[in-house]
Amino acid sequence: MQKKMAYSFPDEVLEHVFSFIQSVKDRNAVSTVCKSWYEIERWCRRKVFIGNCYAVSPRMVINRFPEVRSIELKGKPHFADFNLVPDGWGGYVLPWIVEMAGAYPWLEEIRLKRMVVTDESLELIAKSFKNFKVLVLFSCEGFSTDGLAAIASGCKSLRELDLRESEVDDLSGHWLTHFPETCTSLVSLNISCLGSDEVSFSALERLVGRCPNLRSLRLNRAVTLDKIANILRSAPQLVDFGTGNYAAELRPDVLSNLVGAFSSCKELKSLSGFWDVVPAYLPALYSVCSRLTSLNLSYATIQSPEIIKLVSHCPSLQHLLVLDYIEDSGLEALASSCKDLQELRVFPSDPFGAELNVSLTEQGLVAVSLGCPKLQSVLYFCRRMTNAALVTIAQNCPNFTRFRLCIIEPKTADYLTLEPLDVGFGAIVEHCKDLKRLSLSGLLTDRVFEYIGTYAKKLEMLSVAFAGDSDLGLHHVLSGCESLRKLEIRDCPFGDKALLANAAKLETMRSLWMSSCTVSFGACKLLGQKMPRLNVEVIDEADPPDSRPESCPVDKLYVYRSVSGPRFDMPPFVWTMDEERKILH
Amino acid sequence: MSDVELQLCLALPTPDITKGFNSNNYHGLGFDHLKQTSCFGDRKKRDFEQALGNFSDECNAMPLLLWSGQPNEEDDNHKYRNKRTFTIDDMNDAEEDKVVGWPPIKSWRKRTCHHHHHHERAAGNGNGNGRSIYVKVKMEGVAIARKIDMRHYHSYQHLTNSLISIFTKNKKCDEHYNARYTLTYQDKEGDWLVAGDIPWNDFITTVQRLKILRLNLQTQPQTGPE
Repeated sequence: MQKKMAYSFPDEVLEHVFSFIQSVKDRNAVSTVCKSWYEIERWCRRKVFIGNCYAVSPRMVINRFPEVRSIELKGKPHFADFNLVPDGWGGYVLPWIVEMAGAYPWLEEIRLKRMVVTDESLELIAKSFKNFKVLVLFSCEGFSTDGLAAIASGCKSLRELDLRESEVDDLSGHWLTHFPETCTSLVSLNISCLGSDEVSFSALERLVGRCPNLRSLRLNRAVTLDKIANILRSAPQLVDFGTGNYAAELRPDVLSNLVGAFSSCKELKSLSGFWDVVPAYLPALYSVCSRLTSLNLSYATIQSPEIIKLVSHCPSLQHLLVLDYIEDSGLEALASSCKDLQELRVFPSDPFGAELNVSLTEQGLVAVSLGCPKLQSVLYFCRRMTNAALVTIAQNCPNFTRFRLCIIEPKTADYLTLEPLDVGFGAIVEHCKDLKRLSLSGLLTDRVFEYIGTYAKKLEMLSVAFAGDSDLGLHHVLSGCESLRKLEIRDCPFGDKALLANAAKLETMRSLWMSSCTVSFGACKLLGQKMPRLNVEVIDEADPPDSRPESCPVDKLYVYRSVSGPRFDMPPFVWTMDEERKILH
Repeated sequence: MSDVELQLCLALPTPDITKGFNSNNYHGLGFDHLKQTSCFGDRKKRDFEQALGNFSDECNAMPLLLWSGQPNEEDDNHKYRNKRTFTIDDMNDAEEDKVVGWPPIKSWRKRTCHHHHHHERAAGNGNGNGRSIYVKVKMEGVAIARKIDMRHYHSYQHLTNSLISIFTKNKKCDEHYNARYTLTYQDKEGDWLVAGDIPWNDFITTVQRLKILRLNLQTQPQTGPE
């Protein structure tokens, strides 16, 4: 009787129940309950997230999930952002598009991060998916405005085109004219990364004017200040706006026009852009400021007094990105004006300068930690720090989920006590029990890793540079951090022992990156041989690793779990193990 | 214009603020010898090398109890590790990264910074086209130099008032109590002159750097109109 009850739900009912389960993690859990749930779930999965495009093959995804409408793929490791991954390493999306073109004719959304996208891929997307709606290319490269023209003309129901932080070969601003007059469906357009070449502004204006649902528009630097007012007036429903160049000779008519245009935007909550800011034009924003939840001033080279003036008009601010021109005094003002602040990112204005150019220290961050109880996410570039400050910050903000501190000079000690910053970061991991992401800097010994291994149980991503004394440091992290998914290390004295002793751990993680450490080629080979479900990639642009003794350290090592075995698109400077346990590339 | 309007002596809030100097007396006093002492820069360099020295010393591998029978770090690794050291030789603005990928800033952000510095070099574009004119300002006795955009100011008075407010924020008052300052600038030819002689619009097209010098009270000029 009981047994019969278990199968009395028709598949359609289960499917309907599953349709309320959207999160990828929950979906994965559902599919492991039993065989019939696995089957039902896989037929009704609409959204797939693949954190490493080499962890699985397109064919395997298509075989398991035949009805996907939305796919998200990530390619290169994070350190590619800082030029540590040589060009040509990989991350090509074309094989995926080719397979999906045949298997998913109803695909609607493609979201890519750190992948190489060619014009050919874009043309194939435009041709193959009749109902294509969303294209997000986050930190991608390899394509030009020709590819964008294909998307514009081919995707009749395009809703989102977001090119954030991508490198685009800007051949011509005229790609915008390829949006047909019948295209009125745009909701989001982000072209802020496009070079300073001319954007066909009249085409842009017409496009904006005929898309009544446009909520998010981010312009590029080529768009001048005088053009903004017209754009805003034709899209007063905007929620998120990125200005272009925010500079012009101060003219009262331009200013008042701008004031009027901004005040007509009653829904505006998020602002960005602000290249080359002329402070006299900032008051045009005041009418919007009280509703502003997100402000990105990280290209704005304005000084602290002007930043303070602007920020003190924004009591609802939740996200602020800014240059270190804000200084400690500006952060103190922020702490007293913006009590809802959740995220703060402070970037360096002069990262390679040897002299100090701004008065931004640990005090600023302490002030914000004290004044903003909802602060969860921090990225902070500075030049000095103390353990005491970090302890205070940790105690003030036990709710941190992301804490990334970059003290610009490697191995900088606590400037008051000259000690390592182990205790300070230890306090962060001890107090912030929900910490998911952590980036370390400054002078650090193995001790900080002991703290991390002991306390950082929810930590998913850890970035380490110029830290530690020995393999023990790496061992603490690999053996202690239960939730660790991504570990990236550069210039640390970590070698074979910790890696080999914790080889099994690597299968529970998405990936491990180690560059300029002391892992030997022999250990890499051993790891590749012992662990067939790991791809162990040795990256060395100088010489083949087997032209040196096996004990020689490799330049760069990238290890990731995969169910599809070694990849076949490796360039000459990447080596891995094949099934015969031989070196292969 | 009267001397009073061109008064460029930056006096910190002191009880007896007196009139400034006649700037004409400071022409050609040879400000060339006034270089950045860069003592702060030197200290940074020493700190870094010191830190690196400690690192090299401690990299003799400690015996690892968890692993038995494994060789210690070989000499090869030592040599290799030392090869990875780097130094920041340049005490001037070093725009190229000496270490790849550090600090961890995305390429396009670096380009924005670079663009910003490039403007400083190309100072003197004139204010017609709306481009910024960034100029470094250093105040004697203050470690931190500032960068300002000359387009934000419309007169010498406006400039000196702003500079006073920027620099009085982080001064120790007792040290500079009763101190008086004069504003000097380096022109296109590389000469250091006292600011205030030439019309404002000409000034902003020629100024390359600014320096605020403390005036030794004993060297007040005897001549010159008040």
